Amino acid sequence: MNTSKTQQEPTLLPGDFAIWMFIFMELFVFFIAFITYSVVRALNVEMFNKFQQTLSTELGAANTLLLITSSYFVVRAIQAIKHDDVKRCIFWLYAALAGGAGFLILKTFEYYDKLSEGINLSTNLFYMFYLSLTIFHFLHVILGMIILLAIVIKAHRGAYSADNHLGIETGASYWHMVDLVWIILFPLVYIIR
Amino acid sequence: MLLLTLSTYWMGKIGFSGVIAIFLLLLTTIIKATIIIRDFMELRDVSLVWRIMMYGWLWGICIAISISYLISL
Repeated sequence: MNTSKTQQEPTLLPGDFAIWMFIFMELFVFFIAFITYSVVRALNVEMFNKFQQTLSTELGAANTLLLITSSYFVVRAIQAIKHDDVKRCIFWLYAALAGGAGFLILKTFEYYDKLSEGINLSTNLFYMFYLSLTIFHFLHVILGMIILLAIVIKAHRGAYSADNHLGIETGASYWHMVDLVWIILFPLVYIIR
Repeated sequence: MLLLTLSTYWMGKIGFSGVIAIFLLLLTTIIKATIIIRDFMELRDVSLVWRIMMYGWLWGICIAISISYLISL
């Protein structure tokens, strides 16, 4: 009895291989940062718990919803281009950019609020971690939006189709990484105590 | 995922803390992150080595966080 199953070939990483090397490097940096935060917190529990309460969990949660939604819009953009629907793909990319912009705006308000209270990187250990971790992620969101914007411009010029959308998958992979990092950063810095 | 985020927010709002809170918060984080890795990033069927790297990253962080939090309780 022939029981050989058709062995499904593993699929390739979506998008350009170079972006994945960049993604893995960035994830490694955040890995170290998250663990350092956890260890330093374990050595300064009262202080971290006290100042964690000064953060706006509303803004943190709203930003999480924005990034998850924006990430989902990028998934829809990929699905659209796979069906050769360039117009719809562009629509979803703009929707994703709007989500990213919303994140940056809320984050800016959050920083403005803290900075106007005189809080900065040298205020104390907790704020040093909070500001450096979130600003580092903030910069990744900006880079992610620049990538998505470049993709939208190329899409307008007809550069992508069902047969040729490697560039979109490359940008999408990076954008999902930005979302993935925030999904850990939000509970770690804003919630867990 | 949006509901999981709202539940995370709610746990934070009511000041939920302790072992159970850490477990639940990390569990919701792992679920959301797994959906992002598997479905959004479309890594469900990629080579095992990439999946090990991504899930290793996720679980490594969450295990390290839980250990350091449990130590500090």
